[in-house]
Amino acid sequence: MTTECKIGVYVCSCGTNIGKMVDCDAVTGYTKNLPGVAVCKSYKYMCSNPGQEMIVKDIQRYGLDRVVVAACSPRMHEPTFRAAISHGGLNPYYLEMANIREQCSWVHDDHQQATDKAKALTCAAVKRVPFHEPFDMQSVPMNSASLVIGGGVAGLTAALELADANQPVYLVEKDGKLGGNLARIDLTSPYLDSAKDLLAERICRVTKNPKITVMLNSEVESISGYVGNFKAQIKSNGEAVTDIEIGSIIVCTGFREFDASKVGEYGYGRFPNVVTSFDLEKMLKEGRVVMKDGKTPKYVTIINCVGSRSGKYNRYCSRVCCMTALKYANGIKSAAPDAFITNLYTDMNAFGKGCEDFYRRSAERDTIFMMFDKHAPPTVSAAGKGEHFNMLVKVNEILSGEEVEIPADMVVLMVGMEAREDSMNVARLVNISRDKDGWFIESHPKLDPVATSTDGVFIAGACASPKDIPDTVAQARATTARILAKICQGEIWVEPVYAEINEDLCSGCRVCNELCPYSAIDYDPVKKRSAIISVMCKSCGGCVAGCPSGAIKARHFTDKQIFEQIEGVLEWASSRA
Amino acid sequence: MAVRANPNLLKQLKRYGADDVTKCFHCGTCSATCPLSQEPFLFPRKSMRYLQMGLGDRLKGNLEPWLCYYCGDCSDQCPREAQPGETMMSMRRWLTAKYDFTGLSMLFYESRTAEVAAIIVVGILSGIGFYLLGALSGGDFGSYPGFIPGHNAEYLTELGWDVKSVVLVMAVFVLGLLGINVLRMWWFTTGSRKDLNVPFDIYMKHILLCPWHFFTQKRYSECDKKKPWVVHIILMLGFVALFAVFLAHMIWQDDTHAHTYLGPLAGVMLVGASSFALSGRLNKTEAHYKYSHHSDMNFLYMCLFVGLTGLAQHIAGRIGCGAFANFMYILHMMGAVPMLLIQLPFTKWAHLVYRPHAMYFAAIQADVIAGREGAKGASAVPHKQSA
Repeated sequence: MTTECKIGVYVCSCGTNIGKMVDCDAVTGYTKNLPGVAVCKSYKYMCSNPGQEMIVKDIQRYGLDRVVVAACSPRMHEPTFRAAISHGGLNPYYLEMANIREQCSWVHDDHQQATDKAKALTCAAVKRVPFHEPFDMQSVPMNSASLVIGGGVAGLTAALELADANQPVYLVEKDGKLGGNLARIDLTSPYLDSAKDLLAERICRVTKNPKITVMLNSEVESISGYVGNFKAQIKSNGEAVTDIEIGSIIVCTGFREFDASKVGEYGYGRFPNVVTSFDLEKMLKEGRVVMKDGKTPKYVTIINCVGSRSGKYNRYCSRVCCMTALKYANGIKSAAPDAFITNLYTDMNAFGKGCEDFYRRSAERDTIFMMFDKHAPPTVSAAGKGEHFNMLVKVNEILSGEEVEIPADMVVLMVGMEAREDSMNVARLVNISRDKDGWFIESHPKLDPVATSTDGVFIAGACASPKDIPDTVAQARATTARILAKICQGEIWVEPVYAEINEDLCSGCRVCNELCPYSAIDYDPVKKRSAIISVMCKSCGGCVAGCPSGAIKARHFTDKQIFEQIEGVLEWASSRA
Repeated sequence: MAVRANPNLLKQLKRYGADDVTKCFHCGTCSATCPLSQEPFLFPRKSMRYLQMGLGDRLKGNLEPWLCYYCGDCSDQCPREAQPGETMMSMRRWLTAKYDFTGLSMLFYESRTAEVAAIIVVGILSGIGFYLLGALSGGDFGSYPGFIPGHNAEYLTELGWDVKSVVLVMAVFVLGLLGINVLRMWWFTTGSRKDLNVPFDIYMKHILLCPWHFFTQKRYSECDKKKPWVVHIILMLGFVALFAVFLAHMIWQDDTHAHTYLGPLAGVMLVGASSFALSGRLNKTEAHYKYSHHSDMNFLYMCLFVGLTGLAQHIAGRIGCGAFANFMYILHMMGAVPMLLIQLPFTKWAHLVYRPHAMYFAAIQADVIAGREGAKGASAVPHKQSA
C-alpha cells in the first residue's frame, strides 16, 4: 500500500517565518527522494490562492492520492488545505500537515538543526499519510428549541431574540422574578438611563411572548445529550420536574458581588455608614441618600477597586465600577447637592463609548479624584471627638505624594464582580470549563467569545467575565446568531474524527467513562459495554490511551498512523547516519 | 505627616477665578509645556493638585503661582480645558488675599462691589480733598496751582509741607502694609519651613534678584510668547516714569524737566499698554486674556483713567486752558489715590512686591535644595539654564 501511493509534498516558507530559519529548498531536496513522493515543491505562501491552486493542479497533473503540507500548525490552516485537496478531488482526510513553523522555525535559532528537524517532521508526515483513511462528514438533526439559564438582561435578550425568530425558548430563572442584577440598579452609566426602563420593556415582552416558556423559581437538574439534541430536567419550586428537549443551551447566570467585609481596613460592618455600591443603589432607587441616623451626608467618599485588582482578593478588573462610581458621584450630587464627593481610585478606566465624557462631566461637577496605590489601600477610621463629620479616610495620594485625611460622613465601597458561588455546579451541568477565578471559559477569547468547548452550549454576559450592559446584551445577541445559524441549516455537521469502541474487546470496566472530559462516553448497562457518542467526542485520545483492553481506536489517529510517523523520524535519523 | 483635605477650598477659589480646576486629570501636559517650569519648581500640575484636594496649607506656602507669568500655553495644550494658566492666576489672587493680614484683600477679591465701592469712596474723598486744597490756594478754583509750571508758585511753596506730610503718611501706610504682608509671605513660604533652614548668607547672596526682577521682569521674557512681556514692561515703565515725575516734584520741586518730557511719555505708555490689555480682555484675543476677574478689569480701567486724565490735564495746561487742566487734575488724583490706597496694597497691583520677592525666595529655596542635593549634581536654580 505504501509504495502504491502518489504523494505530493508542499513546503511553505511562510514569507520569512519559516524561510529565515529553515532551508526550505534543502527540505524539498531531501523529501522528493523519499519513497512514494511523486512531486515536492516549496513556495512562499502555500496558503495563498496561487499556493492552493498549485496543489489542486498537481493532484490532477500527477494523479496524486495523498498530500503533505509542511507549513504552520494544523490549527491554523488544516481546514484551508483540506478544502483545497477536496477541491482537487481527494478526500479531505488524505491530507497531513507537518508543523515546521510553531514547532520548528519559531522556536529554534540554529539554521542547520532547524532544517534537520523540518526534514524529520516532513519525512514523518510522508510516512504517515499513506495510512490515512477517507471519511465523510456526518450530520445529526437540530432541535430548534433552546434553553436559556438565567433571567437577567442577557437571558431576557437572548430569549427575545430567539422568540422573535419564531423559535421556542425555555427561560429558567432561579429567583421568583426576572431581571437579575440589573433589577437591583437605579440608573445606568454613562448616559444615566433608568435600569427599570431598560428591563420593564424586556420583561413585559418576554412574559407575553407565546414562544417563551418562563420558568421562575426553577433550576436545571440535569442535562444529557449533545448539540442539537439535548434533554434537560427542570425542577421548579423545589419539587415539580419538567423534562424538555432542546437543541442549544445559553448560560447567562451572571455574577455576584464581592463581600466587602473581607477588607478589614474599610470597616464594612463595623461602621454603619460604610456601605457597598449595592446598598447605595437601594438608597438611590428610593431617591434618598441618607446616613443611618436619617441625616443627609455632607462628605461622601467613594472607594474604587474593592476586592478587584488586588493581590489579596481578585486580581482582575471588574470593569464597570469606575463608571458606576462616577454615576454615584452624579447621583449623590443630585440627591444631596451640598455634598462633597471624593472618589479614591487606582486607575480610572473609562474606555467605553461615552465614558471619557462622563468622567469629564463628573470632574466638572466638582467630584474630587484622588489616586491610591492598589498595594496601599486607604483606611477608614472613626473621626475624633468634636469633629463635624463621623469618619476619617486616610489615603496615600499618589499624584501629590501627600498623606491626606478626608472627612467622611458616608463611605461607599465599589465592590467588584465575582463568579457566582454555584458556577462550579453550572459548569458541571452543561459541561463547560471555568478559569481560576470561576468565570466560564469561551471557545476562543477573540474569535469565538460566546461558544464553549461543548458544542451547542453558549455563554453570555457576566458569567464569563465582568461585563457592562452593552457588552452583555451584545453577547446575548451573538449567542442567538450562532444558534439561529444552526437552526437554519436544519442539521449539524460534525467532524468524522472521533474515537470508537470495539464492543468485542470492551470489558465494560468504565475507566473511559470517567476519563472523558467531554462526557461523550455512555455505558450500556444491559450490554455491559461502553459506547462513544461520536458527535460529542473531540478526539482528544484520553480514552484510547486509558483503555486497559486496547478496545478504543481513535479515527485519524490510529496506532498504525502514529507508529508510521515515528518510523518516519527514525528513518530520517538513520538516513543521516 | 497627614494633611487634612478641605473640600471648601475649591468653592472659595472659585470666587478668585479657579472655575475649571476640577477638570484636571493630571496628565502633566501643562508642566511639560511650560518653558519656565524647572526643578525644583515644576508647575502648574502640583499646585492644581493641592487646590483640587483642598490642601490649603500646602497652597499657602507655595511659591509656584508667582513663578508663572501666564503666557497661556498650558491652557492651550490642556486636553481637559482645565485652564491651568487661569488657575495659577486665581491662586495668585488667593495668595495675595492670604498674605494680607487685614482681611481687606480677601474682601475686595471676593466681592466686586466691595472693591468698586472702596475705589469710589476713596476717589470721592480725595476729590474733595484736592478741591479744598485748590480752593484754599486762593479761594478761586481757576487759580489752583496744580502742576502747571510757573502758576502761583509762591502759594505752593507755602502749602508744600502739608501736602508732603499727607503724602508721607500715605506712603508709610502703604509701605507698612506691604512690608508686613511680604514678611508674612516669607514666613508662609520660606521662614516657617523647618526642612529648609536657610543660612543668612544665602539670603544676602540673592538679594539683588528683587530689584532685578522688579525692573526687568526677566523671567517674563523667558516665556515663549514675548508680546505679553513687552506690553507689561511698557505699563510697568510708565508707572516708574510717573513715580519719577512725582519724586522730582516732591523732593526737588522740579516741575520743568521731568514734568515736561517724562510726564507725557508716561501717560502715553499707560494709556497705550492699558488700552491694549483692556481690548484684549474684552475681545478675549489671547489665552491669558480669556478669563478676567473683576480685579483685573478694575485695575486696567483705573490705569486707563489715570493715564487719560493725566494726559488731558497736561495738554490743557500746555495750551493754556488752566481751568480745564485743574479739573482734569482733580479727576486724575481721584483715580491715582484709590489705585495707591486700594489696588496697590490689597488687590491686583500688589503683585508688584510679591512677584520679585517670589523670585527671590524661590532662588533661595532652590539654592538650599541644590546645596543639599549637591552630591547628586542636581542643578536647581529656577532660572532657565543655558543649555
